[in-house]
Parts: sequence; C-alpha cells; structure tokens
Amino acid sequence: MRSFRIVIAGHGTLPAALLATAELICGEIGDLAAAGLRPTETPDHYAEELRAAIGHGHRRVLVLCDLLGGTPYNVAAAICRRSSRVVCVAGANLPMVVEAALADGALNDQLIERLLDVGRAGIVETERHRARRVS
Amino acid sequence: MSLRLVRIDDRLIHGQVVASWLRAIGAQRIVIVDDATARDEFLREVLTLAAPEGVPVEVHDVASGAARCSELARTPEPVIVLARSPRTMLALRQAGVPIEIVDVGGMGAGPGRRRLHKTISVSPEEIRELRELEQLGTRVEIQIVADDRPISFRSLDSGN
Repeated sequence: MRSFRIVIAGHGTLPAALLATAELICGEIGDLAAAGLRPTETPDHYAEELRAAIGHGHRRVLVLCDLLGGTPYNVAAAICRRSSRVVCVAGANLPMVVEAALADGALNDQLIERLLDVGRAGIVETERHRARRVS
Repeated sequence: MSLRLVRIDDRLIHGQVVASWLRAIGAQRIVIVDDATARDEFLREVLTLAAPEGVPVEVHDVASGAARCSELARTPEPVIVLARSPRTMLALRQAGVPIEIVDVGGMGAGPGRRRLHKTISVSPEEIRELRELEQLGTRVEIQIVADDRPISFRSLDSGN
C-alpha cells in the first residue's frame, strides 16, 4: 500500500492523458491527481490549482512534472522549497508514473532514486538497446 | 506449482505484462508458447528485448513449450507463461501441462468476434476452446491487470 499522494503536473492535457494511460497499464490508480496548465492560465492561478491538487495535511506528496524549467515545474519547485513534505521530480515519463503508482510504502530516498533510475532506463534507441542486450 | 500466471494475450509481452504482472508475481522468467513466433527470429528478438533486463524470455513452439512448461511447473521459480490464443493454451493443457487457472488478458476485437468483457473479444471457435479448457479442469478467468478482480469466464459465457 502506497502511503503518499501523487500529483502529475504539466502542460495542457498531458497530465490527464498520462494518468489515463497509466491506468490502462496498472488498472485504477487511487490517490493520484492530474493538474494541467492551460494555455491562457497565469502561473499564480496554476499555483492555486496545484496546491489544491497537493492538498492540505501532513502526508507526503510526489509531484511528477513533465518538463524541467516549464511553468508547472517552476511552480511545483517553489511549493516544494517551502514544504518539506512535497517532493518534486521533472522529466516524468510513463514508466515513472507507473512505478510511482504501484510503489509500496513511503516516499523515501530509496524510492526517489528508483523512480529516477526507472525513468532513465526506459529511454532507449532500438539499435543501441539491441547491441547492448543481444550477445 | 510455479506457473504463477498462465495468460492468453494476443500482444504477448507489452505494458500490462511488464509493468503490472511481472511486479505483482515477482516473476523471474517469461515463457512464450507460440508456433509462429518460435519460427521468426526477428519477432523472437523483439519480444526478448521487450522484457526488463534480468528477466529472460524463452520462446517455444507448442511441442517444446509443453515439455518446458511441465518442467517449470515442478520448480519453485515463479514464471509467466504467455500464449496468443485459446487454441495454444488448449494444446498445452492436452499435452499434460498442469494449468490450474488460465488468465484471459488480451483478445482484441475484429470481424467475426464479439465482445465478452471490456477489451476482451472472442470468436465462436475460441469460445468452444475456452469451454473445453474448463471441461479439462482448468479455470478460465478474465483479469486484465493484476489489480483487477478476476471474473470467471463461466459467468460471462451465455451458452450460445
């Protein structure tokens, strides 16, 4: 049982689509919200939306952002700097969302490292991947 | 009995198998039984590379697959067995592979196929083959991902 909440933060419809796609793979995912930045939305308004998605209380929250340096990430990083219960990751991809969704237990250093590893391991170019794996 | 998951899935190895089932079962090995794939070196390689590193993929035709599955069923190693069709699964069962439950995880739609449940569609012939599996004492269940509640084929099979 996962003890932390997940929020996917990103541009446009990507967060909602990433959530829906992860559910195709894992089945229904509880305690996960998607917050997409709309084209006309101000960073301040998006910050409100993201804070609402993160929720109040003391539970730890993992915010998976689509793009390092984009507004969703910048807003999430600012929230994370002010609140030690929020962990913010940029460059989220489907393997990372699935890994986080199916994680067991707490949002600790070990899990954060694993998420980063899984995200990187899922990025390959077919010929190089093949050369490395096929002897 | 270590054939932890014996699954009919026309996509063989894909996201649901890799992300949901491998983890849920802690499987260390995937055994694919499929005559066409066993003959095709390119397909074999694509499937081998689709599994995570450290999870070996074996591809067998029905004859060698039956022997291999029976052998693995006697070891404690957790294994996932995948076949594309009820026909292959029936052949394995008839060859004596001990299969307690067949999981129907992926059978796509198409002409001449009717929807059985959610994304699972079947042809009349496949319905007959699934019924035959049940007659041989194998339970047929639909469970697309590990977190889903399994649904018995019998409860969905209207009898036509």
